[in-house]
Amino acid sequence: MSTLSAHELMFGYGPRQVLDRVSCALDPGWTAIVGPNGAGKSTLLRLLAGLLRPQQGTARLDGEAVLALAARERARRIAWLAQQGEATGELDARETVQLGRLAHHGLFAAPTAVDDAAVDAAMQATECSAWQYRRLGELSGGERQRVLLARVLATEARVLLLDEPTTHLDPPHQVAVARLMRRLASTHTVVSVLHDLPLALLADRVLILRDGRMCWQGRSDDPSTHAALVDAFDGAIRIEQFGGRAQVVPDVSGPA
Amino acid sequence: MTRRAWLACLCAALATGAAAQAEVVVRDDRGVEQRFDTPPRRIVSLLPSATESVCALGACARLVGVDRYSNHPAGVLSLPRLGGLDDAQVERIVALGPDLVLAAKSARVSDRLEALGLRLVMLESDSHADVRRSLQLLAKVLGVPQEAERVWARIQRQIDDAAARVPAELRGSRVYFEVSSSPHAAGASSFIGETLARLGLVNIAPSAMGPFPKLNPEFVVRSRPEIVIASQRELQSMAGRPGWQALLDATLRRCAFPTEHYDLLVRPGPRMGEAALALADCLVHPRAP
Amino acid sequence: MNGDRAPAASLPFEGRTDRSRRARLLVVLAAAAAALTICGLVVGSQGWSWSAWVSDLAGDQAGLIVGQIRLPRTLGAMLVGGLLGLGGAIAQGLLRNPLADPYLLGSAAGAALAVVVVLAAASSGADWVGSTTAAWLGQLGLVMAAFVGALGGVLLTLALARGAQHTLRLLLAGVVVGVLMGALGDLVTTVAPDALRGKQAFVLGSTGFLGWGSVGLMAFGLAVALPVAVRYARCLDALTLGEDSAASLGLDLPRVRLLLVALLALATGLAVSQAGLVAFVGLVAPHLVKRYAPAPHGYTLVASAATGAVLLLAADVLARGLVAPQELPVGVLTAVLGGGYLLWLLNRRALG
Repeated sequence: MSTLSAHELMFGYGPRQVLDRVSCALDPGWTAIVGPNGAGKSTLLRLLAGLLRPQQGTARLDGEAVLALAARERARRIAWLAQQGEATGELDARETVQLGRLAHHGLFAAPTAVDDAAVDAAMQATECSAWQYRRLGELSGGERQRVLLARVLATEARVLLLDEPTTHLDPPHQVAVARLMRRLASTHTVVSVLHDLPLALLADRVLILRDGRMCWQGRSDDPSTHAALVDAFDGAIRIEQFGGRAQVVPDVSGPA
Repeated sequence: MTRRAWLACLCAALATGAAAQAEVVVRDDRGVEQRFDTPPRRIVSLLPSATESVCALGACARLVGVDRYSNHPAGVLSLPRLGGLDDAQVERIVALGPDLVLAAKSARVSDRLEALGLRLVMLESDSHADVRRSLQLLAKVLGVPQEAERVWARIQRQIDDAAARVPAELRGSRVYFEVSSSPHAAGASSFIGETLARLGLVNIAPSAMGPFPKLNPEFVVRSRPEIVIASQRELQSMAGRPGWQALLDATLRRCAFPTEHYDLLVRPGPRMGEAALALADCLVHPRAP
Repeated sequence: MNGDRAPAASLPFEGRTDRSRRARLLVVLAAAAAALTICGLVVGSQGWSWSAWVSDLAGDQAGLIVGQIRLPRTLGAMLVGGLLGLGGAIAQGLLRNPLADPYLLGSAAGAALAVVVVLAAASSGADWVGSTTAAWLGQLGLVMAAFVGALGGVLLTLALARGAQHTLRLLLAGVVVGVLMGALGDLVTTVAPDALRGKQAFVLGSTGFLGWGSVGLMAFGLAVALPVAVRYARCLDALTLGEDSAASLGLDLPRVRLLLVALLALATGLAVSQAGLVAFVGLVAPHLVKRYAPAPHGYTLVASAATGAVLLLAADVLARGLVAPQELPVGVLTAVLGGGYLLWLLNRRALG
């Protein structure tokens, strides 16, 4: 299992500094990255995936710089899921998932039985085998997301970077995705940017970003983490114990 | 003289004076009537054939501005050039203060000029009859009505001369006159076609096809024209067209006109007679370059 | 893209994607191509006349008319359509835009400018060009000029976009180059108005003079461009996921994009230099394929080429046959055929 880490990452466009000296260690298991809008969460994920070049600092995978890896090797070890809405829908579900195997068989070679088995396994894990021959554009949001997740799983990468995998999904689908990430956490390093704080608390660890700086990282069941969360969101939420678990509740009391 | 005689003279004088100042009313090719109290003295011509007509009728000195395509007679080259029909320099035209502007029927600039108070006469010449009518109209406006017939008579004489010069063995030959490389031909119903008919040639594109039909290249090959007339550049590239080498090899005459002379052929104006003579010259000499 | 709303009925037919449609489409296209080829040989300057065809074959000009004129024109129309269909499919995949056409990256504008310059240099108003330059340009000929111009236009676009790094930049650069070169072309025609007619003929497009030389050249070009494009088709598939996602799959996107742009330039330049700027084929052919048989790009590229071929040949046959012995501009018919069918499909979608 792999450890992803960031060392003094800095990234900005022009006068705007999106990330300011962010360092963190992302150990195996499920880490949720949360924070107010514009905190730089997606940018951090992209830097960790090697999709952006930092102005300073490095992202490392098991000690090696992510950008120093060959593109195909990096693709086999780190998988990245974009926010919903980028995929256009001409391929059918199975063909989309098969794209995840590109890092293994390359642009020119034909897929082998190994590749087909990986695709089947990925589709089973995300429970989308039933509509594998339907066009991506025909599927509903939840179904499409499962297919895209299957694509990520098909790469058989040990590090999964997921950018807002549950946004725009209704509760049943959010729960299904969360359950999947929970399952994967035992064998992979899963890092997901989440806006959904209740789901974030299901993760092993929570990393809080605010204004381009990391202001907290800790276990999700740690009360200090909860306090940091309330603080990061300026008291707009409360964290309460309910049914033996910490729950996030929007706080509508207080000055308007 | 008796008082009655004086009165008669006075009436006659008045009548003549009135006749001299009589209004000239013409209807131009778009059907608009124009009235001229006096013949116009400052004329802008946006149509090369109109420029040539005005000069042929002896009123060249009255031209104050021409379009960029007018290039004959040589004197007009020194006049202000006012653009084409689509990009006429409206400001300059107005600044010249013309009392008559000659333009083609399809000119976009005409509305603008008329809105600015200029007087426009529009001409369209597609056939010999049209050319004659335009000459008559212009002559009437210019106040020299008898000149039109003189110019027309000269054109007819030149065409007859040209027809007489055409070698007997070429009479009745099939002719293909290419106007553009699409290929567009000059059909029998165009003014070029009429001239060719006067020279005794048979057009491969009959009148039913209209004046300038866009032909299927296969049709030209199939028609096996004995005489091919085109601009020099087109004729050079014709051999490269599929199947046309055979066509060209089988011709009796190939007439290639460099661009300056080509203008002469495709302009429906007072030089049609010269055009006919140029065509006849080409027919007289085998394989003109 | 919210939650679990009803699936978008983006195809006129509900239900599963039928992979058998892909095979079916190719069969239909092959049959159409065969039928239209026969039409192309029969329809000539005498229109749709069977008796004329028989007498043509018996006549002494048979070899010339059918062998030298109709057959190469028919094959040539298919090849031009094929090249444009391929170019359109590459453009739409590369730019991730269903409204892209192969002319978008400056190829059309560059070709038109080159044609205008050559025509102007050869015309009488060419005082601004030295006589040696004019002679050299004349030798170049319109075909070569259009090809060089098309490639030049794309090169300029790439230079402006600083390589094929970003799709949006590439697209914008293409638009800028198109506008600039168009303006330059207009300037040249103002200075040398004799070039205007030739330019208009070029812009309208024509299949009238396609001979065996053109056929050979285009066949060679298609034989090179199509297999190479198909080989790299999976990159276009990956691009449907989004640019960053495709990069995360380990693809060397800038290099592959550059190669695809080069293929696009080659295919479009060849087609445009032989037949002028035929409108609509490159836009409509891949669109039709994707609507009827959505598939990975390996299939779409081939099917788009085939659809383009059939479309242009149909337009060419109609152009010859409808007003024989006169001809309609083929670009008008491609717009009517392709655009009409697209309108019909869109209408069905609105109702379905």
